[in-house]
Amino acid sequence: MSAGAEADRELDARLTDLLRGCAQSDSEALQRLYALVSPTLFACLTRMLRRRALAEEALQDVFVTIWQRAHQFRPERGRPMAWLVSIARYRAIDLLRHERFAAVLVADLPEGAGAAEEAQEEPGASLPGAGLLERCLALLTQQQRRCLELAFVGGNSHADVARLVGSPLGTVKSWIRRGLQSLKACLDA
Amino acid sequence: MNTAPTNVDLINRLAAEYVLGTLRGAARRRLERWRGTSSLVDERCRFWEEGFMPLLLGLRAIQPPAHVWQGIRARLGLPATARRNRVRRYALAASVLLVTALAALLYWRTLAPPRAAEVATISAPSGALLWQVEIYAAPGTAAQLSVRAGTLAMPPAGRDYELWALPKGTSPVSLGLLPYRHNAARRALTVAQQQALANAAQLAVSIEPPGGSPTGQPTGAVVFLVPLRTVS
Repeated sequence: MSAGAEADRELDARLTDLLRGCAQSDSEALQRLYALVSPTLFACLTRMLRRRALAEEALQDVFVTIWQRAHQFRPERGRPMAWLVSIARYRAIDLLRHERFAAVLVADLPEGAGAAEEAQEEPGASLPGAGLLERCLALLTQQQRRCLELAFVGGNSHADVARLVGSPLGTVKSWIRRGLQSLKACLDA
Repeated sequence: MNTAPTNVDLINRLAAEYVLGTLRGAARRRLERWRGTSSLVDERCRFWEEGFMPLLLGLRAIQPPAHVWQGIRARLGLPATARRNRVRRYALAASVLLVTALAALLYWRTLAPPRAAEVATISAPSGALLWQVEIYAAPGTAAQLSVRAGTLAMPPAGRDYELWALPKGTSPVSLGLLPYRHNAARRALTVAQQQALANAAQLAVSIEPPGGSPTGQPTGAVVFLVPLRTVS
């Protein structure tokens, strides 16, 4: 086993222990979990919701949910970080689906802001577990990759992605669909 | 449709768009319901959640403000420590004054500077201090990196210095650009950076293009290699 894989396993074991503690109502476990993952989850929420105050509120919701649902986490069924990140992302998507938020967000964003933010981010390649996804994303066309990243990382709807890349909605939907098909084939291989 | 479809390709496509976030509205709610009842839907969702996760871990970590944790604790009715729990019971029963005192105590505790867990000193050959690097990992606070630059810490012409953790047996992980001339930088560490530091005995400094390495790995000369010392 490579050192990277071992580091991944250590992190998984630590997070799993903390989630087990939360499931047993150990508030110190929640506090340690918060210290470990809140900067990553907050970055994800801030990126998706684009407004700091809303992201702070969402982060509270996320940790309340983690505390309440920790007993549902099954380490044999998936990695803890994916479970935690999904709770945060789905909370953000729930908030985004309300039209009133969407209207404000679109108005807040200067043209091309999404693209500029994207370029400033650290590459995922240096992160544990990122290797396979990186290799698979590299197989996609540039448009497919960009659309998937704008949707997944930015929390953008089909229509938002179409606006950000300046292409028709139908074309963007097709890029996303084909991108997902190629990714599935590669991740499964 | 009230029950989940059994067409695997269809389920896979819907699960992918659900995880991606482009499945919205009623279709999204419906897939959430199916996830609760169909192991196939759940399995496909988990496949995509894990597949895409590394993209998010690449985001630059942001330290949430202290009041967010205080809000979570308040919403869940959690004590910060056992001792505070006893105080809190008195406070609730006794007086508003005591509640105010407790709030002041929590405020002070939150703002009290944490103690560095690991340190590294980067010096010029002359012995002059260039950068003091400190890692904070006190329980209850997010792990942070603090770097203070000495008077002589200047950028190389037209380029930047980048700091790296060197975890044993795996690739270097960037800890960001170094500050210059008396400036200080303090930033929250990502999970990947914390993991790398936990397995690292050394830090390195490389010369990179302005703004940092374009590849995520050192591209220029490594000019300093220093031990990372645990503070007992």
